[in-house]
Amino acid sequence: MLKTTLRAGVAAAALLTAGTALADVTVYTAGPASLIEQLAAGFAAETGIKVEFFQATTGKVMARIEAEAANPVVDVLISASWDTATDFTARGWLLPYSSPNAATVPDFLKTETAVAQGVSALAIAWNPASGTPKPAEWADLAKPEYQNLVTLPDPAQSGATFELVAALSGTAGWDLFKGLAGNGAIVAGANAEALNPVLQGAKAAVFGAVDYISLNGQAKGETIEVIFPASGTVIAPRPVMIMNWSKNQDDAKKFVDYILSDAGQAIVAATNLMPARSDIAADRPLIADLKILPVDAEAVYGQRAATLATFASTFAK
Amino acid sequence: MARARERISPAVIIAAAGLMLVVAVPFVFILLQAVFPRLGQGSLAAPFSALAGAFGDGRLIGMVANTLLLGLLVVGLSAAVAVPLAVLRALFRVPGAVIWDVVFLIPFMIPPYIATLGWIMTLQPRGYLAQVAGFDLAGFLFSLPGIVFVMTLNTFPVVYFAVSRTMAAVGSRYADVARIFGASPGRAFWRITLPLSTPGLAASLLLVFAMAIEEYGTPAALGGRAGFQVLVTAIDLRVSDWPIDLPGAAILSLVLVVLSFGAFLLQRRVLTRRSYQTTTGKPQDTPRRELGRWRWPVLALFALVAFVAAGLPLLAILATALSRTISGGLAWSNMGLANFAAILGDTTGAVKALATSLSLGVAAALITGLLGALSAYAVVKSQVRGRGLLDALTILPNALPGIVVAVGLILAWNQPWLPVTPYNTVLILLLAYCCILLPQPVRYATAAFHQIGDNLEAAARVSGAAPLVAFRRILLPLIMPSLLASMLLVFAVATRELVASVVVAPVGVSTISTYIWRQFEQGSVGLGMAMALLTILITTALPLIVLSLMGRRGSLL
Repeated sequence: MLKTTLRAGVAAAALLTAGTALADVTVYTAGPASLIEQLAAGFAAETGIKVEFFQATTGKVMARIEAEAANPVVDVLISASWDTATDFTARGWLLPYSSPNAATVPDFLKTETAVAQGVSALAIAWNPASGTPKPAEWADLAKPEYQNLVTLPDPAQSGATFELVAALSGTAGWDLFKGLAGNGAIVAGANAEALNPVLQGAKAAVFGAVDYISLNGQAKGETIEVIFPASGTVIAPRPVMIMNWSKNQDDAKKFVDYILSDAGQAIVAATNLMPARSDIAADRPLIADLKILPVDAEAVYGQRAATLATFASTFAK
Repeated sequence: MARARERISPAVIIAAAGLMLVVAVPFVFILLQAVFPRLGQGSLAAPFSALAGAFGDGRLIGMVANTLLLGLLVVGLSAAVAVPLAVLRALFRVPGAVIWDVVFLIPFMIPPYIATLGWIMTLQPRGYLAQVAGFDLAGFLFSLPGIVFVMTLNTFPVVYFAVSRTMAAVGSRYADVARIFGASPGRAFWRITLPLSTPGLAASLLLVFAMAIEEYGTPAALGGRAGFQVLVTAIDLRVSDWPIDLPGAAILSLVLVVLSFGAFLLQRRVLTRRSYQTTTGKPQDTPRRELGRWRWPVLALFALVAFVAAGLPLLAILATALSRTISGGLAWSNMGLANFAAILGDTTGAVKALATSLSLGVAAALITGLLGALSAYAVVKSQVRGRGLLDALTILPNALPGIVVAVGLILAWNQPWLPVTPYNTVLILLLAYCCILLPQPVRYATAAFHQIGDNLEAAARVSGAAPLVAFRRILLPLIMPSLLASMLLVFAVATRELVASVVVAPVGVSTISTYIWRQFEQGSVGLGMAMALLTILITTALPLIVLSLMGRRGSLL
């Protein structure tokens, strides 16, 4: 009995190890999973180079890189927050590279060490079946019609929401958020957790929803509308970075080239993200169509802890 | 004591080595991380500098108090729900007993994050309850009682199975003796049967306490709105919020470990106060009593608990899995099998994720079962010095949040000087699951060993059996029902473990839970729920099939 169990355990272990192969390029990426799957498949078909990836939230990806730092394995990192690129550049972890395909990427979406893969924007995601009037502005959601019907993603868990909170509170003070909190708006975890109650109708609108998730839901037939307030919103460019410890730098560069190629950018556009290149068409509002609130990244992230603390106390029970 | 001690049994050596590998290695690295903030970069600079930051957090005391409160409330409610059911099941002839056992397995098989989402979608305004009955219970759900309610539904089966099995093993023989000496049935139960079942009760309540203070999904999803913060949510924030604070997370986890250890010491005191040996080699038949006129009320009680704990969550999951869109609600026009077709057609990598998780679950159950039995033997039956330390090692992981175990494993196994490493292979997931789940078989097996008289093993040894033979032929079969039950729990939890898997999964590998989580994250709630439903069906059915194939020896049910 004992021996049989042991033998079974060893056999199972051997079976499990057999499945793992070494990749040519290892990519760590924030979501969406379908995007990296398609990019990896397209890249392999075009170049024969194999891409393996690890996908989680930006935070979990960072935790893994931090824990692995003594013996890192990641070649290419795709984050959902530009702040990652700034921070890793300061640490000296990134390999400078400018892809020939990045020529038509606007200057504010690329640096020496990072280039955007795509861009998302924050919006109001509103359920038209909620029996509420269609909101047009952020401030509308503090009105009595939306009492107890608004969710916000937690800025501590979503980098883009943090930038929105910082931008809006920086230009107009905290009155808007005090109004929201007084109107019964709730802070509900990460992006998906904020959207879910709105889809079912428990809530009417998300204040600061990530646009592409809602647009994908709309495409699937969900009753949801994405509204970009005319007063302005923030965008979240998703930086692609090559790590300087990579042992596969040539292949990594080719992968970055592929992401920025016509085919790669078409895949990005198909997931309802805004493509980084300005010459790629997409079936959604693009950066030029939106008013972008100015965010002084250095100042805003310098105040991050204080801003989060004020936000938390505003919405504290 | 001048004479050489008896040769240490090989069982003890294997147990110690296994515990070192599975538990001590990651734990040591968590300790090191707490002390040396820059351990990840391979540097031992600035020791102890992170302590002030972590303990200086003004909310810490409140979070510790909330964590304790939550743990105790879940333990209390789990006992209140499970013990009466378990007593009825063990001592009386409950109609359809085997079916109730299967049904009570289901709540445990529903991953907590899925159950929580199911309850949210059922009870929130315009949720399924409101669509069917016209009212909602959001006020109750998003509150401390709501959290305790949802968590208890997930944990009470642990108590139910442990207590009903222990009590059945105690049987009615001792109570009958008390009856002969004039005790009333109630007195015989309270003074004899219930106290003799203490090992199973104490062990399972300890497990529930540790599970409750370590659980992340439910308090995070429900407690956030109620302003109810616990340690685990703070730990997760430190690991997922940039800048990542691994030392802070490690330090807060050690606070959790201390809490769990307190509960563990309490349980040990209870168990070592007296002897619980009831399996002594004397013939034991346990005729169950008839319920008589209590038959229908008892059945109603079983049915009510089964419906709330298993029926309602399954219905919510099924409704979501069948819905084309969430906003479409419960309308026939909105129902379809598209989500199941997507999974079975494997356009999304679902089948591969299923296969990975199921094989990992089987492997984890086998390894933790073996290691758990040996460890429990070393602790309860051997006279080895340092067995208290072994016992302590077996409870450690129960208090460690999955995410911290994951970080400890990466720190330990991604060292550049290691010639071979399980890191970045599927084996690292296996190590993670074994570490997190080892306490289950150990607790169950320990409780079982406490009930076995020492004379049985001694008789085998006197008759010439080697230590391992005596263990295999005498002790292992006697604890097998308890051990199998715990291995089943390991299988169920390992196949759906989320928190550690998300961080530690090798590149290119999906598990069931990371698959579901990715669907949720992208807003494909229905697809995630369809996968969850299939998983619940498989993880419930598979062990039952195995057990029934094993015939009477697998007498779990």
